[in-house]
Amino acid sequence: MAAVQNSGKPLVKVGVGDTGFVSDFTNDRIAGKLMAMGILPGCAIKVVRRAPFGGGCYIKADNILLALRKDEACTILVR
Amino acid sequence: MEPFIKEPFRIAVIGNPNSGKTSLFNLLTGLQQKVGNFPGVTVERKTGHLIFPGGKSIELTDLPGTYSVYPTSEDERLVVQTLTDTQNTDYPDAVLYVADVTRLEKHLLLFTQVKDMGFPVILALNMSDTAHAEGLEINFERLSRKLGVPAVAVSGRTGEGIEQLKQILTDLSRQAPEGPSEHSVYRLSQEEARLATELQDLFPYLTAYQRILLAHHAGWLPHLSLPVRTKVLEAVERTGFRDLALQVRETMQRFDYFTPIVQQNLRKTRERPFTLTERLDNLLTHRIAGPAIFFLLMLLVFQAIFTLASYPMDWIESGISALSAWTKSVLPPGWLAGLIGDGLLAGLGGVLVFIPQIAILFFLISLLEEVGYMARAAFMFDRVMQAFGLNGRSIVALISGGACAIPAIMSARTISNWKERLITILVTPFISCSARIPVYTVLIAFVVPEKTVLGFFTLQGLAFMGLYLLGIAAALLSALVFKWILRSGGTSYLMLELPPYRPPLMRNVWITVWEKVRSFTMEAGKVILVISMVLWVLASYGPPGAMKNAQARAEQIAREKGLTPQESGALAASLEMEASFAGKAGKWIEPVIRPLGFDWKIGIALIASFAAREVFVGAMATIYSISDQEDLLLIRQRMAMEHDPLTGKKVYDPPTTWALLIFYVFAMQCMSTLAVVRRETLSWKWPLIQFLFMTGLAYLSAWAVAAFLPPPPPPPPSSPPPPHLATP
Repeated sequence: MAAVQNSGKPLVKVGVGDTGFVSDFTNDRIAGKLMAMGILPGCAIKVVRRAPFGGGCYIKADNILLALRKDEACTILVR
Repeated sequence: MEPFIKEPFRIAVIGNPNSGKTSLFNLLTGLQQKVGNFPGVTVERKTGHLIFPGGKSIELTDLPGTYSVYPTSEDERLVVQTLTDTQNTDYPDAVLYVADVTRLEKHLLLFTQVKDMGFPVILALNMSDTAHAEGLEINFERLSRKLGVPAVAVSGRTGEGIEQLKQILTDLSRQAPEGPSEHSVYRLSQEEARLATELQDLFPYLTAYQRILLAHHAGWLPHLSLPVRTKVLEAVERTGFRDLALQVRETMQRFDYFTPIVQQNLRKTRERPFTLTERLDNLLTHRIAGPAIFFLLMLLVFQAIFTLASYPMDWIESGISALSAWTKSVLPPGWLAGLIGDGLLAGLGGVLVFIPQIAILFFLISLLEEVGYMARAAFMFDRVMQAFGLNGRSIVALISGGACAIPAIMSARTISNWKERLITILVTPFISCSARIPVYTVLIAFVVPEKTVLGFFTLQGLAFMGLYLLGIAAALLSALVFKWILRSGGTSYLMLELPPYRPPLMRNVWITVWEKVRSFTMEAGKVILVISMVLWVLASYGPPGAMKNAQARAEQIAREKGLTPQESGALAASLEMEASFAGKAGKWIEPVIRPLGFDWKIGIALIASFAAREVFVGAMATIYSISDQEDLLLIRQRMAMEHDPLTGKKVYDPPTTWALLIFYVFAMQCMSTLAVVRRETLSWKWPLIQFLFMTGLAYLSAWAVAAFLPPPPPPPPSSPPPPHLATP
């Protein structure tokens, strides 16, 4: 599960309204929790909006809505 | 498995957050719930009973919602703790697993984990009404067969399927226990299998998967004794068990197992989940409109509390006052009439008068929680909260702190980072809780005229709001101070699911309101009643001789000055009060509080308030009803008329009143909160620090207010009382 070069770009780089597919996670602990919530490799994530006050982001993955911090969104690599 | 059949039959209710677990629990148990705490911790423990003909009862326990048996916060840990300890009083005989059927492909991970732990599981597929509306077609029978458990479609909203569920639970409780099932969906890896075998002798009653979980969580599970913990950790070391990698492997394998089962038995006839929720969130979580709406909502909440609650409060106050007068007219004069009329009933009034405000506040807060708004607030303010060393989830604690600091401090258990959680616990009591409301109400009426501005807001309501804002500012600024002082502690998460907006289930709201009002009346009420009666005794009796002396002195002064019988009676009562034990205590503290403009009578109320601040109004009522001859006057009117006997100056002039208000905003005056903080932080250090800095801040700011607020203009000989006090 370690970060692999070229396995994708971090979710924070995805623009609002765009969708990416999860390719990898860079932090096992965060990955454990995200996977338990149903964010698995291959899952489509749409960045719906950014939080007020320059915080994290509001994402839609399959049929769940999720609030993530910026540094949490950094650990999700998408293609 | 123990050789005996347990009575009652215990069922743990388990599920993901937002699965509707609590709605279903409420529906099954109704008002027959007991709310307490899990042993050793303050996570709210709700239990309820289902009793069947024949007398056998089923005890249901609502465990905190979690996504998996790999917890990231204190309340989630409780699930693992309960399910791996056969000695635990809550160790279940079976599990009722609640899953949201509209998100079944996400909600079965924990189900397969609980099943692999060997418990008999019943699967409740909740929200069947929504599933129908969203066009989901589910083959329940095949789903149940494939997953190997009884499954039943239910709706916590409409009550559909509840009778069937009850029947299944009853049947299960009547079956002879079979012993835990060793069948496991998850195929253990080689190192896990080795480890499970090594731990078998240590935990003969646990399944292989339960033993693996013990190995994962050996570092913190409280039921492992030190030697056992050491043995487990040694075995972990020997077998080369890598916990995080194995957790990821396990999660993937479980999803691979149930995803096809869900896909084969669940058909979406149309694709339109969430459109309403997403459209609402375009506005409610908008970068600018979102926070603005949040503050508007909070403003409305406080206006509602202040305006709506004032009517029932007036009825309660005048009702108690009339009852007290009636009691004293019926009973023969003496200590009994005094104790009941002035001690007991005044104290009772001090308890009952809170109920409207507590009910309204909890009603509105649980309404916001129930529709799914609170998670949005946590999302929007996470960044801001982080700047203050807090967490987005802290906003839930801070808002609930407006009702009562105790459940609010408990709700901080969902925060995974220790430092953020500790700061939340330390600053939450600055948020004005409902116990401060009566103090604010009484005192604001002295200094703020009853006027309406902008056609809608009352000036008093705005002053009230101002005091709340002051409390919020104190909470945030002291959080900032703690953020600099405290060492950081571990990883911090947000990762919060935003549940779809749903119309509130009023049953859940009413149960919360009922529960909070009842526990306030029983728990806080007892304290207030006892303190009021003790106070009455202390204010009515004094050191031997002192009361007689006071009486004699009053008679002498009355003779010398030629006072009317009424005036001399009041003088005697006042001098006796001063000579009593309570008066002595008030006098003793007076030098300390004099700089704030407080006299010894306020001193008595302050001393009593350190047990619980809600005592203030009751204490004032007791003190003034003893020293005053007019029984029919309400406490507010009595206080408004109170004059310093030496200077003839009003006691409750603006500087003193504002100083007293500021003191109550900041001071830590609640023993129950301190006790909860001790339990949550497992040491007396934090409650002590909290008490000292809050009360120190209260003293200094009250002093600053009293010193720098301009004294009132010399009172005109007959200053008219505020309009609403003039009526009787």
